Amino acid sequence: MGDFKEVTAGNKPFKKAYVAIMLWFVGRAIQAAARVDKDVKKEFEKLPEDFTFCLGVLPKGPYMIVGKNEKGRVKYLGWKPGGKRIDLDMKIKGIEAAILMFTFQESTTVATARDRMIVDGEVPYACAIVRVLDIGEVYLLPKFIARLAVKRYPVWSFSRKYIGRVRIYFRSILGY
Amino acid sequence: MFFPDNYEFYCPVKINSGNKALEHLPVELDALNAVKPLILTDRVVVKKGLIRRITSAFKDSGITMDIFDGIPQAPDLKLVRRLMNIYRDTGCDSIIAVGGGAVVDTAKALDIVVSGKPEDLRDVAGNDLIKNPLGPLVFVPTASGTGFETSGFAALGGMVFSSRFLMPDLVVIDPRMITSEKADAVVATSMIALAHCAEAYTCPAKNPMIDTYAYPAMQFIGENLVNVIKSGDRKGRLALANAATMAGIVFSGTSRGIIHELGWTVDDISGHSHGICMGILLPYALEYNINSEGYHMSDMLLPIAGPEIYAGTAKNLRARKAINFIYDMQHDIHDISKGGIPLTLKDAGISKDALQGIAGAAVGDGHTGFNMDDCMVILEHAWEGKPIISF
Repeated sequence: MGDFKEVTAGNKPFKKAYVAIMLWFVGRAIQAAARVDKDVKKEFEKLPEDFTFCLGVLPKGPYMIVGKNEKGRVKYLGWKPGGKRIDLDMKIKGIEAAILMFTFQESTTVATARDRMIVDGEVPYACAIVRVLDIGEVYLLPKFIARLAVKRYPVWSFSRKYIGRVRIYFRSILGY
Repeated sequence: MFFPDNYEFYCPVKINSGNKALEHLPVELDALNAVKPLILTDRVVVKKGLIRRITSAFKDSGITMDIFDGIPQAPDLKLVRRLMNIYRDTGCDSIIAVGGGAVVDTAKALDIVVSGKPEDLRDVAGNDLIKNPLGPLVFVPTASGTGFETSGFAALGGMVFSSRFLMPDLVVIDPRMITSEKADAVVATSMIALAHCAEAYTCPAKNPMIDTYAYPAMQFIGENLVNVIKSGDRKGRLALANAATMAGIVFSGTSRGIIHELGWTVDDISGHSHGICMGILLPYALEYNINSEGYHMSDMLLPIAGPEIYAGTAKNLRARKAINFIYDMQHDIHDISKGGIPLTLKDAGISKDALQGIAGAAVGDGHTGFNMDDCMVILEHAWEGKPIISF
């Protein structure tokens, strides 16, 4: 029976931890950007009340959940989707695909085009969230990296880009 | 534009190709309602370290998989029975064939028996005798391939199976898995793919869906085959593997043509593989039908030679140009292999006296699309290396 064996798949703990940290920070940054940036605010205003979305990695995470409360305020709701009503579930097909995205080897748009993601929910909502993620990446990343992560690097005023960046970083770290 | 009065097309195969395609396997298996795959492969694939890449792709999925790496070149029923016991005893629910040829044939035969009764295998040998869908089957090529892997055909121990249910559910083509091969192996496999696509794309029975697969397959082979055997070009190898996958779908959707039939018959008596034999026959068979009613030879120039050559060729010369392109490709391959890959049936070790027998065997295989005379014209010219129509 030397030609037969049973193998249990191992783990990729470091890659998983990296993606978990990125998702945690991006989730908090989206919450901050919704208060600081007019375009992100507008995108969320168009979404239904109590709208909640989850961005995560198949098959077992990590995840990031962001939602709007009844007052329309955008909140990072943590990393556990269990027990939450999710309106839009965006799943990255695996940890390697997530690494490609979160190390900016593939932008969100390219990853979507290459079938790295599965969307469970309304496609217009998913498009709005991808636009929000793009704006978030422009705030969080230096230009030479953000250019790899977004479809088109925007032309923003100095105050929007740099003052906005400081405010978003500050709010993301403090979590409000 | 050619639009047929009626046509049928069936393709259940999902193709997942490109960078990190392997890492999509757990999700794709989940979509097939499978959680415990049996991976079939051979020692060559293991030696190249390719199985480690497969198991690595499953990391973080929590999946336990079984691996059988002892598929021989000529698998038999005894092996299939042993695999069936492993599959059932270990609670497997899907098959992943990693490699090509014998591995895929075994995987398909195993899929038949685990989806029914073991004694069914002999009963379902033949055409369209498998009546129900089989279990999930995934194919991961490790070479450029012939396309038979993706097709609805399988062969095992002298039995041939043909059914749409034998087409794999998923083909994962990952550049990390496509390793370099010897020139004659690349030529043999790619020529089978090219011959099937060229016949399907130009024959009177062509249809828009077949064209959709045959066009890029011919384009990938036309652009990459010579480069791959010259330099082992990595991207080119991936393109050829994609072309073979598409050619398998084309082959499953059309009748077997004259090149296929003659190629298999010549293979039996020459020392060369049927791929090499089909490669020799390809331009002659196309040329034979260049002016035949209902054939679309000129359509082939654009995919095989590219837009610049197509645009620079007058409409009435396009068919001739396409065939000449294949002749040129054959000569390039012959030169690169320093004469190792033959240009004619004579060079392939076929005696002229054998041609009659080859033609008889090909026609006797139950085909109505061509007769003895058709076969003899093609064989005689391919034996001598003399174009059928001289310009």
